[in-house]
Amino acid sequence: MKTGDVGLLTTTLDKALEWGRSNSLWPLTFGLACCAIEMMAIQASNLDISRFGSEIFRNSPRQSDLMIVSGTVTKKMAPRLRRIYDEMPYPKYVIAMGVCVIQGGPYNQGYSVVLGVDKVVPVDVYVPGCPPTPEALTHGIITLQKKIRNETDR
Amino acid sequence: MLVEIIEETKGKDGRRILKVAKENLIELMTELKKQGFNHLSLITGVDRKDKLEVVYHLHNFESKKYIVVKTETLDERVPSVSGLWSSANWDEREQYDMMGIVFEGHPNLKRMFLPENWVGHPLRKNYDLKKVQYINMDEEGNDYATFDPGDGW
Repeated sequence: MKTGDVGLLTTTLDKALEWGRSNSLWPLTFGLACCAIEMMAIQASNLDISRFGSEIFRNSPRQSDLMIVSGTVTKKMAPRLRRIYDEMPYPKYVIAMGVCVIQGGPYNQGYSVVLGVDKVVPVDVYVPGCPPTPEALTHGIITLQKKIRNETDR
Repeated sequence: MLVEIIEETKGKDGRRILKVAKENLIELMTELKKQGFNHLSLITGVDRKDKLEVVYHLHNFESKKYIVVKTETLDERVPSVSGLWSSANWDEREQYDMMGIVFEGHPNLKRMFLPENWVGHPLRKNYDLKKVQYINMDEEGNDYATFDPGDGW
């Protein structure tokens, strides 16, 4: 006990917390460009993400745990994005959706585009594609859930 | 029409295209507005390298006709038409932001999308894309541009 190794109890408690967190990932409504159309589709009846616990898209950053950055992040938007991320409560996760968000994509040579949202906020899961299919984004959410469930083991 | 027109052509879709000197622009626009062209659809700027061209698309709701007015400038200055159509206010600010065309007589000629201290006008041919600029927000929530990649995004 004195070494800080509380053994079975905390491990099990952490597992329970992780299980709870991973099954109630509420995303933030944060569509920036055309990827947002595909993001809307994962909420609709065909690929209902509330099956995986991502019950509803919240309009307030204070009620959400997951930020799906979908669409080109312009330099004008980057300080706002950072501010919205800072307003989210811990624990918070970020999915970078689409190639524009990952490295600039077709706008790589433009004057106005941030080359990778990971310069602005820490990213947990990257979902490549232009745009990614709703299935790919659902897979990204499931990958994030797996990541959350193994957080104490890391 | 009493205004001197340099050239009149027809577009592919049958629109009249009038080319006019910038000194006669306000006179022509006032005349066209009297004829019923009460909607200014858009203002475009074209960079011809040695000169800048400004294109106005006007629409008449009653006769359902379009007309295109072109003018060009050597010293980046064009008279403002925001006194005739209020929508020209933001259109001209956008052209000033992206192309660096100064509209004389505009009530509030500030940059529209980029911060006030951004260097250069991005849609000009001589804009240097290699000099990357970044945007950050200060304490009051106002944007500023910087060349330092550690200061902005």
